[in-house]
Amino acid sequence: MATVSMPLRKKRRSPGRLVAEIVCCVIAAMVAFPLYWMVLAAFKPAGEIQSATPWTFAPSLESFERVLGSNGFGRYFLNSTIVAICVVALSMLLSFLSAIALTRFRFKGRTVLLVMLLVAQMVPVEALTIPLFFMVQQVGTSVPAFGLNQLAPLVLVNLAFSLPFAIWMLRGFVAAVPAELEEAAALDGASRMRFTWQVLFPLVAPGLVATSVLAFIHAWNDFLFAQTLIFSDVDNRVLPQAMRVFYKPEELDWGGIMAGATLMTIPVLIFFIFVQRHLASGISGAVKG
Amino acid sequence: MKIKGLLAAAAVGALVVACGPPQAANNQPQQNGNSGQPVGEMTGELKVWLFQEASNGPKEAAVNEAKQEFEAAHQGVKVTVEYLPTDGRATRFNGAFNDKNSSPDVAEFGNTDLAGYAASNGFADLTNDIAAWPDSKDLIPSVLDTAKVKNKTFGIPWYTGTRALYYRTDVFTELGLQPPKTLAELTETARRIRQSKPDLYGVAVGGKYIYAAFPYIWANGGELAKQDGDKWTSGLTDPKARAGLKQYSELLKDDICPPAACAQLTGSQSVAQFAGGKAAMTIGGDFNRKAVEAGVVKGKYAVVPLPGTEAGKLAPPFAGGNLLGVFGASKKYTLSLEFIKLLGGKKYQQKMYTAMGNLPTFKDVQEQVASADKFVEPFVKAAQSGTKFVPATPAWTKIDAQNIIPTAIQQVATGGQSVEAATDAAAGEMNKAFGN
Amino acid sequence: MTTQLAPAAPDLEVQAPRRPARKKRDGRAAAIYLLPAGILLAALMAYPLFQLVQISLYDYNQPQASGAEPLVFIGADNYIELFGDTQFWSVLVSTILFAAVCVVGSLLVGTGLAVLATRVRAIPRMLLFLAALGAWATPAMAGSYVWLFLFDANFGVVNEVLGMQGHSWTFERFSAFGLVAAEVIWCSFPFVMVTMYAGIKNISSEIIEAAQLDGATWRRTATQVILPILKPLLVIATIQSIIWDFKLFTQIYVMTNGGGVAGRNLVLNVYTYQKAFAGEEYGLGAAIGVVMTVLLMLITVVYLRTQRRSGWQP
Repeated sequence: MATVSMPLRKKRRSPGRLVAEIVCCVIAAMVAFPLYWMVLAAFKPAGEIQSATPWTFAPSLESFERVLGSNGFGRYFLNSTIVAICVVALSMLLSFLSAIALTRFRFKGRTVLLVMLLVAQMVPVEALTIPLFFMVQQVGTSVPAFGLNQLAPLVLVNLAFSLPFAIWMLRGFVAAVPAELEEAAALDGASRMRFTWQVLFPLVAPGLVATSVLAFIHAWNDFLFAQTLIFSDVDNRVLPQAMRVFYKPEELDWGGIMAGATLMTIPVLIFFIFVQRHLASGISGAVKG
Repeated sequence: MKIKGLLAAAAVGALVVACGPPQAANNQPQQNGNSGQPVGEMTGELKVWLFQEASNGPKEAAVNEAKQEFEAAHQGVKVTVEYLPTDGRATRFNGAFNDKNSSPDVAEFGNTDLAGYAASNGFADLTNDIAAWPDSKDLIPSVLDTAKVKNKTFGIPWYTGTRALYYRTDVFTELGLQPPKTLAELTETARRIRQSKPDLYGVAVGGKYIYAAFPYIWANGGELAKQDGDKWTSGLTDPKARAGLKQYSELLKDDICPPAACAQLTGSQSVAQFAGGKAAMTIGGDFNRKAVEAGVVKGKYAVVPLPGTEAGKLAPPFAGGNLLGVFGASKKYTLSLEFIKLLGGKKYQQKMYTAMGNLPTFKDVQEQVASADKFVEPFVKAAQSGTKFVPATPAWTKIDAQNIIPTAIQQVATGGQSVEAATDAAAGEMNKAFGN
Repeated sequence: MTTQLAPAAPDLEVQAPRRPARKKRDGRAAAIYLLPAGILLAALMAYPLFQLVQISLYDYNQPQASGAEPLVFIGADNYIELFGDTQFWSVLVSTILFAAVCVVGSLLVGTGLAVLATRVRAIPRMLLFLAALGAWATPAMAGSYVWLFLFDANFGVVNEVLGMQGHSWTFERFSAFGLVAAEVIWCSFPFVMVTMYAGIKNISSEIIEAAQLDGATWRRTATQVILPILKPLLVIATIQSIIWDFKLFTQIYVMTNGGGVAGRNLVLNVYTYQKAFAGEEYGLGAAIGVVMTVLLMLITVVYLRTQRRSGWQP
């Protein structure tokens, strides 16, 4: 991303650009301000949190200690990471295959499937927790590892609910690979499987990484399914459930909330920064290639 | 094409009607042992759910002591305690009710949640075993009533929460005021304070603080709902209830507690305003003591029972509090019962009082505590003058969740509606929830 | 039948070749490729959705779920109750208006900043993207609390700077909706910005230069050359924003304390939660869920129709 700039403006030095850059920096600061405030409040000592001073001279870790010191934080963090990584990996695989089918193959009912992917995102998830609960319970009687209070069904449910959007986004990346490549491969006698994995996959990989971030956020932030499906096993709970202790509308522990929010945001942010190059330039790169 | 579609629609329709939605296997209340035979397993893991408090350390220490005592007395038993955040508890409890296999054995729960849990057969009927427990005769009857639905007892009251009037002694001395003797006087005093000190709320109360509003209704002779057999009807349209709600809403005015700041306050938030030195009075519970002591008003406040409509009378406080119960699906009924008799017994109620300030539910323990600590006195006085409770029907959960009463209070407070219109609407919603 | 409803952006440059003869073979391969996702979605999405419709036809509360009470089929009663509730209609209207503001806001801010990002050098652009990604990465719950904290009546930095301590931003109906909308736009514009930025970068410079050589003004180039090319992307971003903003829950729930004073800031999802799920009336909740899904479908279909009528072709 750092290497691209508007080709049109490359040579001429427009006087407006400096203004644009200043505006850009000011907006960036405004957008970042709530985040700065969050991190700042997390580091402020207890007495200072409710003051509006935009800095602190006595940064303190007590809010973080309170959050990290709550029972089993490390365990919950690990569980959340496992679930999120599984969801991301499976989502990449399944959305890749589906996106190929939906963009490069012509078949009856394709439009219907596409519309269904949209509809799938429209259902309010709260409404589906009851049916899902009983389904997981049923499955659990024959396959205990996929029953209630296990992480596996949580992975599958989060996967199912992040998949429609992932497929929808990925279609663009797959469609961008020129058809000539496919024809050339077919002429070379490459099987469809080989074409998929040896030609398409490397070309679509940036897009896969980019869309996976959304699956990651989805799985990482999910509270509802975790609370519904993992209700009585302490060891298998996930991070948002632990964080909920601090999000009490009754008595707001601002320091704890902000420290918790900071801790929850950091992994997502790292993931984002890691993939943002692909997120921003992946689409255009794929098209030009 | 058309016929095919119709057929498909018919098939789906038939399917929808033929096999119903998912449901847990029939969950009939279990038959408890009579005659001292232990019911269920007597060894293994005993899973306990307790609520997580703002500062959980002292609670954990007291509970751990009980756990060790229990494990020492019962060979081969391991007690595991999980502390649940109260927020989101419904999902956890419903999960336990819907899936018997992973149900814990023992839980702490709020007495206002009881009616709903009982309707789901979530908790075991302890009536006979509690009656047979010698200590139970010392339980305060009105408190024990909060553990009953349709004359069946579902838990041991672990502690009660009673509210009273907190006021700033320094402000009252400075302005030459006396603690109010009636509710009307309270309004007057609050108004005078805000007049002289515009940066203070006369009294910090909130539109969502229903447990402060209910005593106003009760003190005026109104009722939230009336029971006739199995049928409940809202009592809010009664002129007395209306008078109470109106009197409470008058506190949420610019000259006492401005609605822009107070219309959305809950109980703890109201107390937080007082603790932060922003209010001259508030209605707070014995359990709010720690929060107030941690604030800037430490050492500058006192507590009196909330007065009634006439001098010398008290407004009946809401009998809040938590219970300890045994899950209906527990496979260790007798063991669980033993455990709640220990943790909910006199010894540990005393310890929980020392650790958390939770007011005991046994009359003798309560008096003992009150005589040793002057702070508790007004609360005990209020409690023993006769507490009142919300309608013991599962519909209450719905009424509570739908914010019916806060909405009415807020409508009156912000001048959006008259008391008559607001209570009419609220009563209609309540009656709908009652199934009338 | 093969016209796509809304293809992803780059479709416009590369159309997969149409060869009817291949259709059959394609169909079989597609089935294999779609199988894993299909099974998962059928089991965890379609089937629960079917059960949702079932539940909406029953008197289904927590006692029924836990098997303490028998099930009673009540037909359309849940729907009748819902449509007979005047509050439902007023909440519906405010939901649509509120969602519209959020959608339009995120699209304008996102697109505007995407254009801005193409016209500045690497460092300011990197700063903008970092800030935007941060906003995107913040969990909804955390973001809501941070904004609430910024605009707190007494301790908030905003009131401090504006010198209006004690002013409550969440009390008045429109001010509360406005604050929530600002937070929503803050965390949803990055998606639009990143998508549109990629789209703009994607337009080859030759096209623009050619247009400018023809004497087209910058505005003409923007509206007549760039915009049509970006349209498919915009359509996608709009549909996604509609779906997300219509289903908003956390922000309203946290920031207006459960729907504002006397429920005047309720939106449909929060209303559903309080009306049905918090009170454990799952039958009614399922009915609202079904109505919401149908409504969203209608809005999307109408939107796509207008897009197609205005000349947009996949």
